[in-house]
Amino acid sequence: MKDRNSKSVSAALAAATCTLLGSGASAPVQAEEDPNWDFNSALLYYGEADDRVEDISLSFLAKRLLVDDRSLSIGLTVDVLTGATPNGAIRQDVPQTFTRPSGDSIYTIPAGALPLDDTFKDTRAALTVGWEQPLGRLWKTSVGFSGSKEYDYLHLGLNGSISRDFNNRNTTLSAGLALSQDSWDPVGGTPIAFAPMLDVGDTSNKLGDEDKDVIDIVLGVTQVVSRRMIVQLNYSFSDNSGYLTDPYKFLSLVDGTTGDTLTRTPAPGAEGPSHEFRFENRPDERTKHSLYGQTKYYMNGKVLDASYRYMTDDWEIDSHTVDVRFRWPLGETSYLEPHFRFYTQTAADFYRISLVDGDPLPAFASSDYRLGEFDAITAGLKFGWETDKGNEMSIRAELYQQDGTIPSSLLIGNQIGRETYPDLDAVIVQFSYRFSR
Amino acid sequence: MNKKNLGILAVMATLASGCTSMGVEPWERDILAKDEMQLTTDAIEAATDDHIYFSKEASSGGRGFGGGGCGCN
Amino acid sequence: MFACLLVVQLALPAQPASAADFDPNDYAGKVVVLDFWASWCVPCRRSFPWLNTMHEKYADEGLVIVGVNLDLERAEADRFLAEFPSSFKIVYDEKKALAKQFEVMAMPSSYVIGRNGKIVDQHLGFKVKKQAEYEAAILSALAQNGTEDE
Repeated sequence: MKDRNSKSVSAALAAATCTLLGSGASAPVQAEEDPNWDFNSALLYYGEADDRVEDISLSFLAKRLLVDDRSLSIGLTVDVLTGATPNGAIRQDVPQTFTRPSGDSIYTIPAGALPLDDTFKDTRAALTVGWEQPLGRLWKTSVGFSGSKEYDYLHLGLNGSISRDFNNRNTTLSAGLALSQDSWDPVGGTPIAFAPMLDVGDTSNKLGDEDKDVIDIVLGVTQVVSRRMIVQLNYSFSDNSGYLTDPYKFLSLVDGTTGDTLTRTPAPGAEGPSHEFRFENRPDERTKHSLYGQTKYYMNGKVLDASYRYMTDDWEIDSHTVDVRFRWPLGETSYLEPHFRFYTQTAADFYRISLVDGDPLPAFASSDYRLGEFDAITAGLKFGWETDKGNEMSIRAELYQQDGTIPSSLLIGNQIGRETYPDLDAVIVQFSYRFSR
Repeated sequence: MNKKNLGILAVMATLASGCTSMGVEPWERDILAKDEMQLTTDAIEAATDDHIYFSKEASSGGRGFGGGGCGCN
Repeated sequence: MFACLLVVQLALPAQPASAADFDPNDYAGKVVVLDFWASWCVPCRRSFPWLNTMHEKYADEGLVIVGVNLDLERAEADRFLAEFPSSFKIVYDEKKALAKQFEVMAMPSSYVIGRNGKIVDQHLGFKVKKQAEYEAAILSALAQNGTEDE
C-alpha cells in the first residue's frame, strides 16, 4: 500500500500521530497547508439472533487541526436500540408472565422459551470533546469530556492524560486518568434488592434513582522495537462504586428439590407475575486490574496487529482476550483485513441460576449471563479503499458468538438438562467514511 | 492485591529502563509514520468495538495511547 | 497530474546530488542552513515554504540552504519534491553519514553554519510559531563577518 498521505484521527485519550496529508487536488507551487479538518463517520448495524438486541448507530468524529500539532476533537454518536434481552429468569415447562419494569403492564413467555424482556427500545446519544497538544518538545497532554444520555441513564465524565518521550522518541511513557459520574433513573424506579416482582400498579418494591462513580487509571509504555515493529504495554486500574446492579434483571425463586420456579397468583382483579421472581443485587464496589499488550508488525506492506489483555477483579471474574488483525494491501489503494478475536471469562462469585426458596438469602446474586462463564469468538473481514478524491471508505462484517457453561453445581432438579446458557449469536456490519478538508 | 500492583509496575519500570538500547534513528521512522502502523488505526471502530464488548462481556478497556508514529518535532 | 508537471517546470529546479557532494569548504564565507528532512515527516513539509522564503530573501546576502534528504527510499523523496518543489539545493544522504556526523536527533533538524564554518545555531523540529526565532538566528549569522571567532 503506498504511503497514503492522510492525517489519522484519534479519540480523546489517543495521542496525535504524525502522518502525511491527503492531497487529491492539483499541486500548488508552494507546499500545501495542513488540512483544517479531519472527519470520520461510520454507520453500524449490530444484530443478535433469536429476536434479541438490534442496534443501529451513527458516529461522527471531527478533528480540528491547529498550528504545531494541537487539535480539538468532537465526537457524536447516536444509537437506536430495539429487541429483547434475557431478563434473568430460568425457562419453565409452562408459560410465564412477568410485570414490565414500568409496572404498567405484563408480558408472557411461552413454555420452554428463554424469558426475554423486549421493553428495550431506547435511543442513546453520546458526546466527546477532547483537546490535545504538545508541551515543550518531549511531552504531550490531553484533556477531554464525555457524556451520554439514554432514557434511563446519564453518564458524565472527564479525562486527562500526559505522555513523555525518551531515548530519541523510541520509548514513550504515558499516564491517563478518567473520572465518571453516572446516574440511573430506571423505568419504574430502582428495585429494592431481592424485592419480589409485584402486580401491575404496585410500586412498593421500587425506589428512586441511583448513582455510580468510576475512576480509571491507565499507565503505559510504548517502545519502538525496530523500523518495522512497535510494542505497547499498559496497566489499567478501575474502581467502580455505587449502584452496580442491573435494575431490570431478576432471578427465579425455585423449589429446593424440583428446581422449578414457585408459582403465584396475582391479586383478584389485578394482572401480575405468574411465578415468584426476586430482583438481583450486586455489590456496590468493584475493582478491576488489567494488563494489556499490543504489537504492530510490518511485513512488506502487510501489517499484523496482535494484542492480549488479562483482566481480574474482586468479583472473582478473570478474563483473557486475544485479538489479531492482519492488513493485506490489494494494489495501491485498497486492502483486506481479516480479524479474529477470542475471549474467555470466569463467572462472578455471586453468579447463580436461581434462588432457592427456604435457603438463607445470599448477600449478592445475579443470573445475568454477562457475569457467567463463557467463551466468545469474533471472526470478521474488513475491506477498505481510497476514493478518487483521496478519501477513505471501508466496510466490515463480523460474526460474534458467545458460548457459555453453567456449572452443574448451580443446577437443581429439573433445571438439569432444561437450563442452558443463553448463547449469543450476533452479526456486526459497519461502513465508514473518512475525509479531510 | 497491593503486591500484585507493585509487581506489575516493577515489570513496566524494568521494561522502560531496559529499553534504552532498543529503537531506531529518527530518520528510520518512515514505516512507523504510516497510518496503518499506528496503535489505533481507526478511532471510531475501536470505540464501537469497546462499546459492544463492554455491553456484552464483563471486561472493558485496557487499550492505551501514545508513542510510535513518526516521532517528529 | 498535468498541473503537477507544469509546476515542476515553473519552480526553480532542485539539484539532486549525493552527500559526498556536500563539502563545507565550498561555502566558506557564506551562511549555510543545513536542513535534514524526509518525505514522510509532516513538520518537514511544513518547513519547506518557510525555507523557500528564507532562500528568496537572503540568498543575495550570502545565505545558502541545503536540504539534506534522509528518506530510505529515494523514490519517495522524488515523489515529494515533484509535489512540493524547493528553490534551494537538495542533497541525498544515502549512507546517512551526514546525519550521523551532525548527530541528528529529531526530524526535521536544522543547523545554521556561520561564515566561519562553525555551527552557530540548531533547532530540533519545526514549529510554525517559532519561525521568527529561526529567522533571527539566520540574520544574526549573516550579520557576522567571516573572520570573527565564536
